[in-house]
Amino acid sequence: MSKQVTRREFLNLLSAAGGTAAALKAGSALGLLPHTAQAASMDLLAADPAKRKVAILGAGLSGLTVAYELSKVGYECTILESSHRPGGRIFTVRHGDLIDEIGNRQYCEFDDEPHMYFNAGAARIPSTHRNILGYCKELNIDLEIFINENKTSYVQDPALLGGKPIRNIDYTTHTRGFMAELLAKSLSAGEMDQPFTDSEAETLMSLIRSFGNLTEDNLYKGSFRAGYAAGGFLEHGVQKDIIAFRDLLKTQMGRQLLDANEGDTGPILFQAAGGMDKIIEGFTNHVGQQIRYRSMVKAVEVKDAGVDISYEQDGAEQLLQADYCFNCIPSHLMTGITNNFPSQYTEALKYIRRGTAYKAAFQAKERFWEKEDIYGGISWMNNPSSQIWYPTAGMHKQKGILLGAYDYGNGELHTAMTHEQRIEAHLTDGEKIHPNYRNQVEKPITIAWHRMNHMLGCSARWQRDRSGWSHEEEDLYHALQQPINGRHYMIGDQVSMHSAWQESAVMSAQWAMADLNQRLRA
Amino acid sequence: MFKTFLALSLFIACIGGAGAAESEREPFDDRYCTTCHGTEGRGNEGVQAPRLAGMEPWYLRRQLENFRGDIRGVHPEDREGIAMRPMATKLTDESIDDIIEWIFGWEYIPAEVTIKDGDPSRGRGLYGGCAVCHGANAEGNESLGAPALAGQNDWYLVTQLKNFLAGYRGAHPNDTYGAQMRTMVSTLRNEAGILNVVSYINTLSR
Repeated sequence: MSKQVTRREFLNLLSAAGGTAAALKAGSALGLLPHTAQAASMDLLAADPAKRKVAILGAGLSGLTVAYELSKVGYECTILESSHRPGGRIFTVRHGDLIDEIGNRQYCEFDDEPHMYFNAGAARIPSTHRNILGYCKELNIDLEIFINENKTSYVQDPALLGGKPIRNIDYTTHTRGFMAELLAKSLSAGEMDQPFTDSEAETLMSLIRSFGNLTEDNLYKGSFRAGYAAGGFLEHGVQKDIIAFRDLLKTQMGRQLLDANEGDTGPILFQAAGGMDKIIEGFTNHVGQQIRYRSMVKAVEVKDAGVDISYEQDGAEQLLQADYCFNCIPSHLMTGITNNFPSQYTEALKYIRRGTAYKAAFQAKERFWEKEDIYGGISWMNNPSSQIWYPTAGMHKQKGILLGAYDYGNGELHTAMTHEQRIEAHLTDGEKIHPNYRNQVEKPITIAWHRMNHMLGCSARWQRDRSGWSHEEEDLYHALQQPINGRHYMIGDQVSMHSAWQESAVMSAQWAMADLNQRLRA
Repeated sequence: MFKTFLALSLFIACIGGAGAAESEREPFDDRYCTTCHGTEGRGNEGVQAPRLAGMEPWYLRRQLENFRGDIRGVHPEDREGIAMRPMATKLTDESIDDIIEWIFGWEYIPAEVTIKDGDPSRGRGLYGGCAVCHGANAEGNESLGAPALAGQNDWYLVTQLKNFLAGYRGAHPNDTYGAQMRTMVSTLRNEAGILNVVSYINTLSR
C-alpha cells in the first residue's frame, strides 16, 4: 500500500513541479493558506456585450459587492431594493432616521451630531476579516478601533455578591488567580495526564504563576492587576480586597466575560468611523445610481437564457429581464415570492431559520460612564437586556449613544413587548449597574430584527443543533450555493457557514462571481 | 383605495411630527402586508404567514379587528398570532377598509399542498362536522361566519387547528366564532386527526 501524502507534503511537491503560484492556488483550495484580500483582485472577465445585464435583488452588502465588482468589468447592473434605504442589516441610526419595524415605527430623535449614531446591525469588524477590510481600503473608508472588552466595565448578576456590580477586572483577575492556584496544585501533585520533562514542567509552572499572578509558593493572594484600592502613583498602592472564589462561582457569566475577548470578537476589532453604514456609502458612491428603491420583487423566473424579475414600484408592475441574477433576498421572504426554483433550492430556503436579534439604544445626556473610568466596551448583566455598550466614538464630548440592550440569541422576548415595555425593561435592567440610569438617558430606540420591514429576521440560522452541521444541512447549504442554470445565484451571509458577519456577505458574493467567471471561461 | 390610505397616512405622518426638519423625514410606507404574506398575499411558509388572497372580506375584517382589539394573538403560545397582533394594533377603521379592498384585488390561486402525513380518507369522515359550517367543498359560508378553507395554506390550517385545540386561539370571551371552533375542533382529538382532516381539505376545491 502506498504511503498517504499529507497535504503539506503535497504542497511541497507541487511547489517543486509547478512553482510557487501553483502551490499558492492549491493551498487556498485546500484551506491551508489564508485567502488574500480579494477586493482589488477579483480578476473577472470583461462582460460579453450580448450578455451583460445583471439583476441584483437587495441592496444589502452582498448585493452591493456584486454591483461594484461587475460594474467594473462592464456589466449593466440594476439593483432592486424593497425598502427606502441601502445596506440591509448594516444600519446606522442617526437623527431623523426612520426605523421601519412593522408595528413599531420610530423616528430617531438623537441629537444631530456626527458622533451621535447607533449601529443597529453590524457593529464590529475583526482584523482577520480581510475581504471586507479590503473593500474598506479600496473605498477609502476611515476605520477606527472598536473597543469590545473593557476591564473597567461592569459585571452584574443577582447571584453574585447580592447583585452589586463589580468591575470586569475584578472578576477576571481573581478568577484567573484562583484557577491558576488550582492548576499549580494539580501540577505539583503530579496529577497531570501528560508527561512533561523537567524543563517543560518548569515552563508550565511559570506560565501558570504568570497567568494568575501567584506568589512564590503558588498561592493567589490578590493582585495589583485589579487596580488599587488607594494610592499606587505618589504613594504605595493599596491592594483591593479579594473576592472569594466561592462568590465568583455563583455567577455563570464568566463564559461571556472570557469569550468576549476571543475568536471573532477578540482584538483587534474595527468599526467604520462615523457609523458602519459609511461602508455602504463607499459602495453607493460608485453604484448608488443603479439602485431602484421601494421596488418589491414579486416573481423570479429562471429561464434557459436569463432571469425574468417582476417587481412593483410606485404601485406599478415592472419587468426586469436580465442575463444573470444575484439574489440576496432573505431566504424566509424568498419563500413567499413566486418563483420556479428547483425543489432542493426551495427546501433549503425553507430550512433556514431566521435570527431573532434585538438591540436598543439610548441617548445619554452626559457621558456618566467616563467619570467611572469607562471608555468604550461592554458591561454584562445577567438580565434580559444583557449588555450595555459604551460608545467608542466621541470620547469626552458631552453626550453619547449607549447600547441599552442586545439579545442576539433570544430576541423574541423583547420583540413581543410593546415599545414602552421594552424601554421600561432596559431602564430597570440598566439601573442595576448605573443607579441613576433612568435619569441619565433619553430618546430611546428599539430594533427587533424579527419585525424589521423587508427583512423580518436577523442572520440566518442553518444549524438545528448547536454542536455542528448535519450532513443534511451541509447538502442543503451547498445546493443553495450553486447557481440555477448558471444564471441565478443566492448570495448574502445566509449563503455562508458563518452568518452575521459582513465578511460572510462579501465572501458569498465573491464566491458567486468567481463561479460565474469560471463558467464563462470554460 | 390603497392610494387614499397611503396619502392619508403620509398626511398624518406630516402633521404628527414636531420640528422643521420633519418634512425631510422618510415617509411611512404602509404597504407592508406583502412583506410577510408574500407576493399578492399568497402566503409564506418561511415566516408562517397565511394566504390572504381569496380570504373573504368579512373574515379579514373580523380577524383584523380581533388582532387590533387584543382578542386574537395574545396567548403566549400563539407564536404566529403574537407576531401578527402588533401589525394590526395601529390600524384605523379606514385603513382596515383600504387594506381589505387592496387584498380583494389579488388573484386567488390555491396554495401548494405540503402535508404528506395525513390520511385523507380518514379525514373525510372527520370533515363531516366541519362541512356543516364551512361547506361540503370547504368553500365557506358567510351567513355562519365560517371562512373558506379550500386553497388555504395547509400548514396554516394545521397550526390554527392545533391552536384552537390547545386553547391558544378562541379562548377570549369576546371571540364568539373562536369559541364555536374550539367546541368543534375537540372532535379531531389530536394532531393525527388534524393532519387527516387537513389532508382531506387539500383534496377539495372552491
